[in-house]
Amino acid sequence: MKAENDNRFHLESLPEAKPLSLVPLRAPFRIERLDGPSEDCNRLLDLGITPGEEVVVTHAAPLGDPLVIRIRGASLALRRREAAWIWVV
Amino acid sequence: MSCHPPELDFSPVKTGDQNVCLVGMPNAGKTTLMNALTGGNFKTANYPGVTVSLLRGRTKPEFGTSRNLIDLPGVHSVIAPSPEEELACQVIEGKHPKVKPDAFVLVVDATQLERHLKFAGLVARQKKPTVVALTMMDLLSRTRQIVDPARLAETLGVPVIPVDPRTGKGMDDLIGALDLVAAGAGQPYTSNALAELPREPVAAFMQVRNLLRQSGAVMHSNEPDSVTARIDGIVLHRYLGFPVFFLVLVSLFAAIFWAAAPFMEWVGDAFKLAGNLVTAIAPNSMIVRFLAEGVIGGVGVVAVFFPQIMILFFLMTLLEDSGYLARGATLVDRPLSSLGLHGRSFVPMLSGFACAIPAVFAARSIPARRERLLTIWILPLMSCSARLPVYSLLLAALLPAAAWKAGLSLAAIYISSLLVGALVAGVAARVFLKYRTPSLLAMELPAYRVPRMKPILKMTWARGSSYLQRAAVPIMIVSAVLWLVSNFGQTPDRWIGPTPKDRSFAAQVGHRMEPALASMGVDWRVGVGLISAFAAREVFVSSMAIVFHVESTDEDQQTQGLLDQMRTATFPGTSQLIFTPSSIVGLIVFFFFSLQCFSTVAVVRKEMDSWRLAGLQLLFYTGLGYALAVITVQSLRAFGVA
Repeated sequence: MKAENDNRFHLESLPEAKPLSLVPLRAPFRIERLDGPSEDCNRLLDLGITPGEEVVVTHAAPLGDPLVIRIRGASLALRRREAAWIWVV
Repeated sequence: MSCHPPELDFSPVKTGDQNVCLVGMPNAGKTTLMNALTGGNFKTANYPGVTVSLLRGRTKPEFGTSRNLIDLPGVHSVIAPSPEEELACQVIEGKHPKVKPDAFVLVVDATQLERHLKFAGLVARQKKPTVVALTMMDLLSRTRQIVDPARLAETLGVPVIPVDPRTGKGMDDLIGALDLVAAGAGQPYTSNALAELPREPVAAFMQVRNLLRQSGAVMHSNEPDSVTARIDGIVLHRYLGFPVFFLVLVSLFAAIFWAAAPFMEWVGDAFKLAGNLVTAIAPNSMIVRFLAEGVIGGVGVVAVFFPQIMILFFLMTLLEDSGYLARGATLVDRPLSSLGLHGRSFVPMLSGFACAIPAVFAARSIPARRERLLTIWILPLMSCSARLPVYSLLLAALLPAAAWKAGLSLAAIYISSLLVGALVAGVAARVFLKYRTPSLLAMELPAYRVPRMKPILKMTWARGSSYLQRAAVPIMIVSAVLWLVSNFGQTPDRWIGPTPKDRSFAAQVGHRMEPALASMGVDWRVGVGLISAFAAREVFVSSMAIVFHVESTDEDQQTQGLLDQMRTATFPGTSQLIFTPSSIVGLIVFFFFSLQCFSTVAVVRKEMDSWRLAGLQLLFYTGLGYALAVITVQSLRAFGVA
C-alpha cells in the first residue's frame, strides 16, 4: 500500500502503461506485459510479441481495425481487441 | 517426366531413400523451395498458412541421390499448436506413424532470423542431420541488413546455405550440404547452440538474440523494409485502401472478359471446324451426328470459356505471389469478423470465384473450426467460373447487342454473390452457431515481392489442367448421354429408336417436371438442362445446345447459333417464347443460389467429415434457388415484364 504523502513515484515520473490499441501510429513503444485470454496471449508470445520488445504500430486499416504492427522485423495484422491485451510503455 | 502434381502422389515412400523434411515458420518459403527441388507443381503462395497438409515429392534427378522431400505445415508455436502445427511437430519428433524424417532442412527467412530461429530448438533436439536454408536474402538490402551465412553456421553448429528457390540459386549448395551432413563426415561444427534453445518462447527469443549478437553474423539496422512500408502506406491508407482494393478486384474481372475475348473466338472456331470435318464424313449417319453434335458440339460450347478460366487462375496466382492477398484479408477483416467469419476467409472466398473446390481446401488456413465451417457454408454462393458460361449465355440472350450492359450486369452478379454470402454468413452465425468472440487474427503480412513469371505460369497451368481434368470428363459424358436421351425414345413399332426431340426420353422426364418448371416460366427442355447441370454447372450450356439442337454445320459460331435458337424457341404447340426477360432473370437467380455441383458436395463432406452438413448445404441452396427463381419470375410478370 502506498502512503498518502509518498510522492517518490511522481518524482521519477514513470511512464504509465497503455494498451497498444490506444497508442499513436509510428511511435516506438516497449512491451510491458500481456494481459488477455491465456491461450491467445501464448500465441502472441510465440509470434514474437514478448515483454521487453520494441513495437511500432505502423498502419491502421481503413476501417480503423485491424492494426498493423512491426515487431522483430515482421509485420503482423492484429485486431484492436487483440492489441488491447498488449500493454506498452 | 511425370506431369502429375506430387501432392496427389500417395504411393508408399521408397524405403531405401532418405526422407528429408522441410520445416520452418509459415511463409518462410518452404513450399517454393520444395518446388525448386522437385520441379513439381505445388500450391505455393505468398500468404501465410498455405501448406496445411503434408506435401510430398522427390528431388529432381539432376540433384544426384534421389530423396523423398516432405513439406510440413508452418509452425509458430510448439506449446499451444493448432491441428496443422501438431501434425508438423509429430513428424519432426518422429511420432508420426507413417512419415519418419531422416534429415531436416530448416527454412529460415533471413530478414527475420530471430523469429524464425526460435523454432529451431525442436528440430535440433532430434539429433538428426540438419541444414539451414536461408531464404529472402534478396530482401535484406531493403532493410539495410547484412547476414553472414558462414559466421551464422559457426554459431549455430549447422551448415547455413543461402538459397533463392525462385531463381534456383543455391540449390546445388543445399543438396551438397545435405549430402555432407547425411554422410556424417566432414562435419566441421562443434557447437550445438540450437539444441539448447528452451521451449518457452520468451526465453527462447532472448537466447536466439544473444546467439546472433555473439556471432556477429548479422548487421542489424532496425529499419523497416522501405518498399513494403511505402506500398502498405497506400494499400492500407484510410481513404485509398478500399479504392485500391476495388480497383484490383475490378481489373481482375475486367481482364477476364476483355483479354479472353480473342482466345475464346479461336477456341470456338476450332470446335466448329472439328464439328464440320466430322459431319462431312457422312452427313446423315446417326453415329456421325452423335459425334459432331453430342460430343464435339457439347464440349465445344463449354471449352470456349476455358481461356477465361485460365486468365482467372493466372491473375489469382499473381496476386497471391505478390503478397497483396494478405493485405486484402487485413482490409476486409473488420466486416468479415463482424459477420462471424475471419480475415483469412477472404482468400477462400476469392478462390471461390474461380472454383469452390480449391476454395474449400483454402479454408483450412482459418484457425477456428467454427469460422472455417461458416466460410465453407457460404462458398457455394461465390460466383464460380463454372457459372460464367451460363451467365454469359443468359446475359447475351437477355441483352442482345449490348456487350457493355452484359458486362455490367455480370459485375453486379459477382458483387451480389459476395453481399448475399455476407448476409447468409451473418444470419447463420447468429442463429445457428451462437456467435461468440472471434478467434485470434494475428496474421503475418509478408514483404511485397515482384512476382516471377515462370513459377506463376507453371502454377497456372497446374491449376488450369487440373480444372480441365475434373471438368472435361463429366462434361463429355453428360453431353453424350444427353444427346442420346434427347434424340432417342420409344417408337411405336420398336422398343427404342431415333425419335423427334419432343418424344424422346429427355422429353418424357422433362414433361414430368413441367408443373415445377412452369412456375419458373420455362419448358421441359430447360428442365433437362437444369438437371444435367448438377454434373457441372457449365454443362447447362452444352445441354441447351443439344436439346435446342444447334446445327454445327451452321455458318455462325456455335454459341451464336445457340443464341438464335433460344431467341426463337417457343413452348411446344404455341407461339409463346420461352426465353423472355422474366424467365431469363429467373434462371440467373436459380444459378446464383443453387448448389449445382456434386464435386463440391463431395469435397465439403470430406473436409468437414459430415454427410449431414454437405447434404444440408445442397438442399438449402438448391431449395432457396428454386424458391427465389419462382418468386422473381412471378413478381416480374405481375409487374408486366414479359
